[in-house]
Formats: sequence, structure tokens, C-alpha cells
Amino acid sequence: MKMRPILWLFLPAALLLAAFIVLPSFDLFRASVFDPEFSTKHFQRLFERGVYLDVMWRTIRVSLAVAVLCTVIGYPVAFFINLQPRRRQTILLFLILIPMWMSILIRTYAWIVVLGRDGLVNEALAALGFTTEPVQMLFTSGAVLAAMVQILLPIQILTCYAAMTEIDLDLIRAARVLGARPRQALARVFLPLSLDGTLTGLVIIFMLSMGFFITPALLGGRQDRMIANLIEFQVQRLNWSFAAALGVVLLVLTVAMIVLLRAGGRMLARRILKGGL
Amino acid sequence: MQTLKPSLLLTGYFWLIVAYMIFPVVIVIPVSFASSEFLRFPPEDFGVRWYRAYFTDPIWIAATITSFRVAVLSTLISTTCGTLAGLAISRSPQRMQSPLTYAATVPIVIPHIFIALGVFILALRMNLTDSEIALAFAHAAVAMPFVVLITSAAIRQIDPTIERAARVLGAGPVRAFRVATLPPLIPAIVAAAIFAFFVSFDELIIAQFLMKGSETLPMRIWADLRLDISPVVAAVSGLLIVVTTIAMACAEILRRRAVATLAP
Repeated sequence: MKMRPILWLFLPAALLLAAFIVLPSFDLFRASVFDPEFSTKHFQRLFERGVYLDVMWRTIRVSLAVAVLCTVIGYPVAFFINLQPRRRQTILLFLILIPMWMSILIRTYAWIVVLGRDGLVNEALAALGFTTEPVQMLFTSGAVLAAMVQILLPIQILTCYAAMTEIDLDLIRAARVLGARPRQALARVFLPLSLDGTLTGLVIIFMLSMGFFITPALLGGRQDRMIANLIEFQVQRLNWSFAAALGVVLLVLTVAMIVLLRAGGRMLARRILKGGL
Repeated sequence: MQTLKPSLLLTGYFWLIVAYMIFPVVIVIPVSFASSEFLRFPPEDFGVRWYRAYFTDPIWIAATITSFRVAVLSTLISTTCGTLAGLAISRSPQRMQSPLTYAATVPIVIPHIFIALGVFILALRMNLTDSEIALAFAHAAVAMPFVVLITSAAIRQIDPTIERAARVLGAGPVRAFRVATLPPLIPAIVAAAIFAFFVSFDELIIAQFLMKGSETLPMRIWADLRLDISPVVAAVSGLLIVVTTIAMACAEILRRRAVATLAP
């Protein structure tokens, strides 16, 4: 079969991805089981030591918490934007988009300024007479969570918003005309229709959180390290094969959790669709 | 017809969340104009001390130039490959469009640390570490999905019959594309290039693994934040916040215009 001429245009992109995404991924898998002979010792070490299991479990837990928080906080925000007239929607979306494209390093640094010993929050608390000593907020799990949610929230708002724009608002009006109270119309008509897009957003946020590196390293303490931080630590100590094994585990855990979340989300969606809230 | 209006509570909630997203970033700007030795809020005295420190420190300037060089090369690569791929996707038969889009956007779903580690291990074996060109290509691979998504969305809005008309009137395939399809596409390509530039310019972890000798700007900021937080970082952040905001606003306006004017 002859390839369509237009598909040749895809070739440079395919080569770039092959050389810098696909090939390195395979090499990483290879490095995780050959050191230099075939061995699964790195994976054994990973699953035998409590420290590493702790880090894996924490990475999943934190990512889930961030994904759920972003969804709960972001959904009403997207709903609000969706209710505005067209022109104002564009302006409000700008407010969400600009921080989204800001460097994560800078946004994390900003949290150091806000939460530091002499930072904004501590100065405000002292000025208002609530505290006499600076409160330790940096290097806590709370700081990591607050910053990760702030960094990823725009993505969930945009995903929810995109799902909501597909919904015909006349459906809500129809429900109202037929006697539904506003709350009922939202819960029985609007929410189920936007559920699929919201779930997609939740999965995206979860996936991005799993690989987070900068924020836990700068705002968290030792107890907040995630898999990506462990990988960097191992690379610094030149344990490439062990780092590779961690990378493989990170990818497998992420994919497995995505499958689980999607299945669980679908089940929940079906129940909501059937029985209302 | 009755319109749906947000309640006062929802309006208040919206602005509260916007403040949560934007305020921590904005607050860096006044801090960067402090003239005290340490990070403190509110600053006691204002001045451009830390901006001067940034502009006169050869290490910071070298890091900025390295980042700039890598980002420009990376943008050229990702914009070229991504736009061509966007064309291939939007002009290929319907049933191939979504598999091709999935293939081209796969880097979005892979954690950067995974890509960084893979590229690093491969580069180690091939003795390619510490190469700015290798880094630019790796950044291009990560940025390309955004280019593909933006350009293919814009191309789909362009009426292919204009290009066909150019062909009928005797233009070759390349010329027909250049006269009929390329001009309305330029805003989208420029927008995609701006996004791609900042993906590379802000990227830390791949650079951190790959580069040992020379330093990019994020690597410099990272090193500074890890050791002792000097207020120079505040000045650099202040600059980056302003530059990114302006560039992203331009890119977003261009992207919107590309989609809006081309829509039938």
C-alpha cells in the first residue's frame, strides 16, 4: 500500500518523538533490569524497604488529594465562568490561563515568599496580634498541598469549563419550566452532563501530580518527598539503574491508577445518572 | 427568557479563588524591589538593588543566555515538526486523525522526570551529555504536543477549497499552500511558537539531568533556592512574571484570533 503523500509531513514529528521519547523510554526499561547482567534486584530492593514503599504510597495519596481538591474547588469556578456573557467569559478565562503558563519554579518560589518565616502570612498574623512567634509553615505537608493545588487548579478549571460549554443551558431552563427547583435542575441535569469532562480533568491532575518534583522539594520537608524527588536523589548518587527502576514504577503506578480512577469514576457517574444525588 | 444568574455567594467564591491563584505570584513583584538583605514582607525600603545584582552578575547572565539559546533552537524544532504534523493530521482521512493526534501528543501524559531520566541514561551511553543541542531537541519533543494541538485546530478552520482553487489555477502544491493556507495560519503558528519557547525556557528537570558544565536559568534559580535564597531570585522572578504574562497574553490573543476569524 502506498502512503498518502500528506502523511510524509508527519515524519519529522515521528522521528523527534521516536528519538527523544520512545527510545529513551525503552532504554530506561532496559537500564532498570540490566545492571549490567539481567537482574530484578532493584525492584526487589524497592518493594522490600519500608522507606521506598512509604514514598510510593505517599505519592499516590498526595496526588489523589490534589486531584480531588482541584476538582471540588475548580468545578464551581468553571460553572461561574460558564454563566457569564460570552465576552466576559473570554476575559475571565485570561485570569485563569495566565497563571497556568507561569513557570512552576517561579510559582513555587512565590509560596516561599508568602509562607516563609518573615513572609507575608507570618507578618500579617503578627501585625494583627494573633502570634508573637513566626509560625512554621514552610517545609510542611500543608504548604506542599496548598501550592500544588494552586499550580494545577487552572488546568482543572479549563477542563471543566470546556465540558460545560458543550451543555445546552436551555436544558436547565426546560427543567425549571417543568417544575424543578434551581438546585434540582443543577443536580439532575447539569451535573450529570458535565461529569465526564470533570472526571477527565481529575485524571489529568492526578497524572501531573504523580510526577511533581519542584514543589515537594522546595516547600516540603523530608517527610514530603515524592517518587520524583527520590529519582533525582538516586541520580545524584549515580545509582542510575535504581533510579530507572523507580521511573518504571512511577509510570506503572500512574497508568494503573488512571485505569482505576476512570473505572471508579464511570461507576460513580452511572449511579448518579440512575438515582440522582 | 429567564437568564441564569450566579448568586452573590458564587461570585464572591470565584474572586476568592482567582485571588488564591494569582496573589502569591503578584506579591513577588513588590518583594523584588526591596533593598534589604533578606526576604521580608513588607519590604522596608524600595530600590532596584537586586535587579542591578542580577544584571551585573556574569553567572546569572550566562545562565539566561544559555536558556535563551536552547529555547530558540528548541522552538524552531518543535514549531516546524509540530506544524507539519498538525497539517498531516488535519488533512488526513477522518479515521486516522485521532490516532495520529494521540501519537503526537503522547509526551503530555508522561511525567517529565521519566522523560528526563530516559534521555539522560541514553545520552550517557552515547556520550551526548552536556550538549545544548541534545537538550534543545529533548525540550522540543516535550513542547511539540502543544504546537500540534494549536496548529491542527487552526488548520481545521481553514477552507481547503481555497487551496484547491489555487491548484486548479496552476499553482504547484507547495506554492498553493504558501499562498492559500499559510497566511491565515500564521497567528496560530506564532502563538504555538511562544508557548513552545516558554516550555523550554522554564524547563528544569531535563536540563538538570543532562547538563553538567553549563547552566540554564531554571537550573541557576533551582541551585539558588536550594542553598540560600538570595533576593536575586526575587528580581529574576519579577522579570519572568512580567515577561511571561505579556508573552502569554499575546499568544492567547493570537490563538483566539486565529480560531475566531477563520471560523466560517
